[in-house]
Amino acid sequence: MSMVLNARRLDDVVILDLSGRITMGEGTLVIRDHIQKLLNGGDRKFLLNLSDVDYIDSSGLGELVTSFTTVRNHDGQLKLLNLTKRVQDLLQITKLLTVFEVFNSEAEALKTMK
Amino acid sequence: MTLKKPRSFELTIPSRLEEMQAVHKLIGQAVKEYKLSDELAHWMELTISESMINAIQHGNQSDPAKEATLKISSIGDAIEIIVEDQGCGFKLDTIADPTDTANLLKPSGRGILIIRSFMDEVDLSEREGGGCRLRMVKKIRGNSR
Repeated sequence: MSMVLNARRLDDVVILDLSGRITMGEGTLVIRDHIQKLLNGGDRKFLLNLSDVDYIDSSGLGELVTSFTTVRNHDGQLKLLNLTKRVQDLLQITKLLTVFEVFNSEAEALKTMK
Repeated sequence: MTLKKPRSFELTIPSRLEEMQAVHKLIGQAVKEYKLSDELAHWMELTISESMINAIQHGNQSDPAKEATLKISSIGDAIEIIVEDQGCGFKLDTIADPTDTANLLKPSGRGILIIRSFMDEVDLSEREGGGCRLRMVKKIRGNSR
């Protein structure tokens, strides 16, 4: 199943609800292009909801890291929400849990982005 | 009564990422044949895919004239996976540690770490006739992941 991205906005935070697989190729480009457009439009706060993503490969992880650094270079914030166990394990193995702020509650995440 | 020996699976593809669909299909057939749990099947698919993408991109430099081969077979209580390419894009002992602070924000370099974290054995050797042969073994008895 290829990746689907839906964006919604709560105040100045853009929540990207992702579902499917984030893998080499199309899926990763969709995230990159979408975030770049939002950055160009002035958005700086992003919350990636991964509750419906249970397969990410190393290219997908690379894309999350690239998005994180791109947003940070624009003085913005990018945080992760609702990781599945498999994605959590992958971030643990790769030590990316030390890079990303991760939340299990959208409300809690939003509080930290005010 | 004789027990039926589990099937082995083999696929050779030109070095194009579009061919990965066939790789995923073959892995799906293998995990079904070996009756792996959903969890084992997930990590098996992820790590075999990573190794085939490595073979295509790093080993064969995405040259469609070069081929990558995948073999999956059952060896007692384990699954053996062999991936061969016609290049040789890396050496296991010279790969930068992607968990090192200096490398954490790099966009690539995590595939072998993911493979090593799941597989019980990972060996890279030269392939007869040129190229590389990556052999991985996953014990499946008493393993939930």
